[in-house]
Amino acid sequence: MSAHTPEVSAAKARRWGSFYFAEHMLRSMRAYLVTIIVTSVGNPLLYLFSMGVGLASIVDRSSSGQGAAAHGAFDGVGYLAFAAPALLVSSAVMTSANEMMFPVMDGFKWRRIYYGPHVTPLVPGQLAAGHIMAVGVRLLIQSLVFFFIMLLFGAAPGPWSWLLVPLGVLTGMAFGAPLMAYSAHIEKENFQFSMIQRFIVMPLFLFSATFYPLATMPIGMQWIGWISPLWHGNQLGRIVSYGLAEPGWLVVVHVLYLAVLWGVGIWWARRNYTKRMGK
Amino acid sequence: MSVLTDDDYAIAPSRRPFGALYSGNTQAVVERGFRVIKSQNWIILVSGFFEPVFYLLSMGIGLGSLVGAVEGPGGAQISYAAYIAPALLAVSAMNGAIYDSTWNVFFKMHFGKIYQGMLYTSLGPLDIAMGEIVMALFRGFLYALGFTGVMALMGLVTTPWALLLVPASVMVAFGFASFGMAVTSYMKTFQQMDMITFFMLPMFLFSATFYPLSVYPLPVQWIVQAFPLWHGVELMRQISIGVFSPATWVHLLYYAAMILVGVSFTTRRLRSLFLR
Repeated sequence: MSAHTPEVSAAKARRWGSFYFAEHMLRSMRAYLVTIIVTSVGNPLLYLFSMGVGLASIVDRSSSGQGAAAHGAFDGVGYLAFAAPALLVSSAVMTSANEMMFPVMDGFKWRRIYYGPHVTPLVPGQLAAGHIMAVGVRLLIQSLVFFFIMLLFGAAPGPWSWLLVPLGVLTGMAFGAPLMAYSAHIEKENFQFSMIQRFIVMPLFLFSATFYPLATMPIGMQWIGWISPLWHGNQLGRIVSYGLAEPGWLVVVHVLYLAVLWGVGIWWARRNYTKRMGK
Repeated sequence: MSVLTDDDYAIAPSRRPFGALYSGNTQAVVERGFRVIKSQNWIILVSGFFEPVFYLLSMGIGLGSLVGAVEGPGGAQISYAAYIAPALLAVSAMNGAIYDSTWNVFFKMHFGKIYQGMLYTSLGPLDIAMGEIVMALFRGFLYALGFTGVMALMGLVTTPWALLLVPASVMVAFGFASFGMAVTSYMKTFQQMDMITFFMLPMFLFSATFYPLSVYPLPVQWIVQAFPLWHGVELMRQISIGVFSPATWVHLLYYAAMILVGVSFTTRRLRSLFLR
């Protein structure tokens, strides 16, 4: 009986290294598995109930004439159906943001988990790719759970609603990958992550047409939505979930914008990982 | 030259009430808190102010223009922004106090070992508890002042009673801060700390913050009414338009009781943790 020769191991690592590292990351998430489960089931339940049922009660009372739904503000669907896809996409973005800040710093600085694999034939680009893949898997599972809870609430009316699941991953990554690149480049942590949380993640959640259409905001604030990956994801989510009528060119813009952010994010992250590990 | 005897070294027991718990030097703990703010985390402190403001802008302006007027305390019709603003202030008082008295305390307890150091001096557990709470309240006071200013700028302040929003939100913060520290003392790991979020998010979402309580079936209403944030939200909402009812007293008493129980709970916990 013999193990692989070092040459074989090295060749395997060069070929499959990002997957090996992704597996490692996923296994290490088991340390906070309970938190993951509780939040990925609890958050959709709480938000869908609070927004879709509670808030809907004052938004939907359109019979009196002055309610919003009467004017078609929510695309002619109930508030629950309007808000639910955006809540799914938002929660993917928030999870991705969390996974791409402290854990990245952890890999480089605190627990230095990237340095072990780095002495094997794995290259830094593979570490970045593996980390991204692991977060992608988490986003996939979380979006799937969220989607099933939406079904329970009757909040996913269209036949293409299930596309929300890959869409959650896409939007989460479009925000998370560039953030990962940024985190990889921070040498000394001076509250950057708290600032990102407060001044980027939170405002994006609030101003990306999550709770009402973007056109409702004064024009001076609409630009936040235009540059926000979350807005593009929310719009796509509404298209697949209940058939929001969006011009074809804009759909292309939404998809392209997210794909480009993701692609550039990965490229930039790999570059920063290589630079950082080379130090 | 006289020779010192054992008697000269004996420490006389304090004759003040609670002498073992309290040395009357809360200010030392507070002073340390201010030094820390000055030297490192003032930016975190300042940035916390923006969260409720973002919520107010997003929900108040955006959603408000779609919702129109809603029924405020006493049946008056008020704008949606005016409806949620005092509630957001209560939420922000809760968040500020809870984060200050949980995460902050958690780090000081387990990593910095700050309290152990303090207790080796003449400081007692009550000094520390009060000192930390004063710091949390100071933060709550700043946020409340700023947020009330933003409300005024947005034209949401229509009565002089609104000035009471500031002390009221300090009281709400006091209620939460006094409990936060005691609860934190039971937490050993980061994962357990997540329980706090798990408790706060539903409170935030369900305490009549964004829509009236009447949405819920009666049993759910009772549960919500048992939670502290709901009392804070209602109290602030009443103050913001200057319409009071007998229920105002209930809200005030709820917080008074919460503060009393919380402070004594925290003191006992600190004592049993460190002065075994």
